[in-house]
Amino acid sequence: MKLRVVLGYTAAGATVLVAVLTPFLLFPLFSKGVAALPLHVDEVYSGGPTVRAISMGAYSIDVHRPVYPHFLQSEKPFVQLDWNPVSALPQHVSDEVDIDGDGQPDIRVCFEVPRDPKPPLRVDVVSLNPRYQTMQNAGKEKFSRLIVRVDNAILVRVPLANP
Amino acid sequence: MATDARTLPLARPAPRGIGWSLLLTLPILVWSLLMFFNPGSSKTPIWIISGAITALFMTTLFFMMMRSRSTYRWRRIFFVSLGVLFPIGFIYNIVVMRGTMGIPVEEMIAGRTPFCFMPIPMLILPAAFTRTLVFPGSIASASHGIAAMVGVWLALTLVMGKGWCSYACFFGGIEEGVAAIPARAKIRKLDPRLRYLPWAVLLAMVLLSLALFEPAYCMWLCPFKAVSEYVAARNLLGLVQNVIFILLFAGLVIVLPFLTKKRTQCSWFCPFGAFQSIFNKISIFEVKIDKERCKPCLVCLNACPNLSLSKESVARGETLLSCMKCGACVDVCPRQAIVWHIKGTEIAWKPERARLMFLYAAWAMAIMFGGSIIAQGIATILHFIV
Repeated sequence: MKLRVVLGYTAAGATVLVAVLTPFLLFPLFSKGVAALPLHVDEVYSGGPTVRAISMGAYSIDVHRPVYPHFLQSEKPFVQLDWNPVSALPQHVSDEVDIDGDGQPDIRVCFEVPRDPKPPLRVDVVSLNPRYQTMQNAGKEKFSRLIVRVDNAILVRVPLANP
Repeated sequence: MATDARTLPLARPAPRGIGWSLLLTLPILVWSLLMFFNPGSSKTPIWIISGAITALFMTTLFFMMMRSRSTYRWRRIFFVSLGVLFPIGFIYNIVVMRGTMGIPVEEMIAGRTPFCFMPIPMLILPAAFTRTLVFPGSIASASHGIAAMVGVWLALTLVMGKGWCSYACFFGGIEEGVAAIPARAKIRKLDPRLRYLPWAVLLAMVLLSLALFEPAYCMWLCPFKAVSEYVAARNLLGLVQNVIFILLFAGLVIVLPFLTKKRTQCSWFCPFGAFQSIFNKISIFEVKIDKERCKPCLVCLNACPNLSLSKESVARGETLLSCMKCGACVDVCPRQAIVWHIKGTEIAWKPERARLMFLYAAWAMAIMFGGSIIAQGIATILHFIV
């Protein structure tokens, strides 16, 4: 019984010590530990990693790896393309993009670039490869089908056709 | 080390002397100053004032806990202040940053959605199976990042277990404040089976989050979206989500706490609370009932804001797993049969010592985490006044 009492008070004292050490040692330690875990934010949100950049002169188009939703996720598979920097884009963008890098254009993308960043964007995508879906006057209805301005880039997500 | 429970007086002990109370409060005063005025941090005058007010506020409450030897009512003042000031500071910040309480898709894609603790249990299975965090935030961001919040949660959970729900949760104070308004409960008979509901919600939300690959509770059921941020209603689905948030907030956080004088969202619905209950098993501090002193008047059952006591648990001499360590039952017990307790020690053996050790740890955490949120809320109010 005496041992249990000693252990109990030792643990209670250690808990108070943990509390005192938290802001200086444990919180940074735990946070860095969690950040170091091999985890990533769901690519439906982040758009997946960039696999290559296509130079268009004053601006470039970053092509991301296609994203495939998990389990019963309500989104469709898509590929994200980033036009950046926004300041170098013409007022009207109309580009043919070779997404898969085979030398042939896969889609034609057209959108207006308003100088005011607040108005919602609209995009037309014409599929030149049956792997990619056509979009007409798309806004930001779904994560897999949208055009948005994020920081200094305009992001277009083109849904993939059903395999 | 025999128990001296029966030698404890039945009457509530007299207030502690002012000198002793001040001496016991001194470490908390030093801690408050350290937290709000740490050297090396540059602060604006408004931040200095709000920090000073918060430090004084938290230190005074601790002093009153020492002087009165009671916990619940002073903790409740802190907790309700946290619940009221959190939305003020948070909403002001996000409205200044993005102009709306709705989370735009752009912010989600940029990984700038602030991460609160609620989704933590829902992230575990998707992360375990696919190494993916189903939350549109940033992992490593210093402020509101996922790793930072999980780090804080881990540290506070080690210290307090389910005490998180009484000393850290920045939502629970709203319903605790509402529950404190009426003198008597209008609805007194509550089905005890309702206390199992949070476990059902937790199980459903964890499985749904894995299946749908989204934090299902945050997307569909979190009542506190009504006072923090919500998915911007871009279509009918978004509108339905927001109506659900508002109805749940009105029902579980305003109307039912007012009618029952209980924290109904926490007791009947909160999946994070259920998840946090598990960590009471590893917490060294607990609340126990001395069966030899207890003449089951069951005043404690009515006093518990979280339905964490039942007739059976009182007969066993313990609280239920969901006990939030708020101290309501300890303070209200007319025979001082309910005591703060350190696992491994005899029940009612120096309970004030156990209370002090718990309060030093819990209040230090409350100042670090909740105190900074209170200071943020005060700074926001000062910003409007000055």
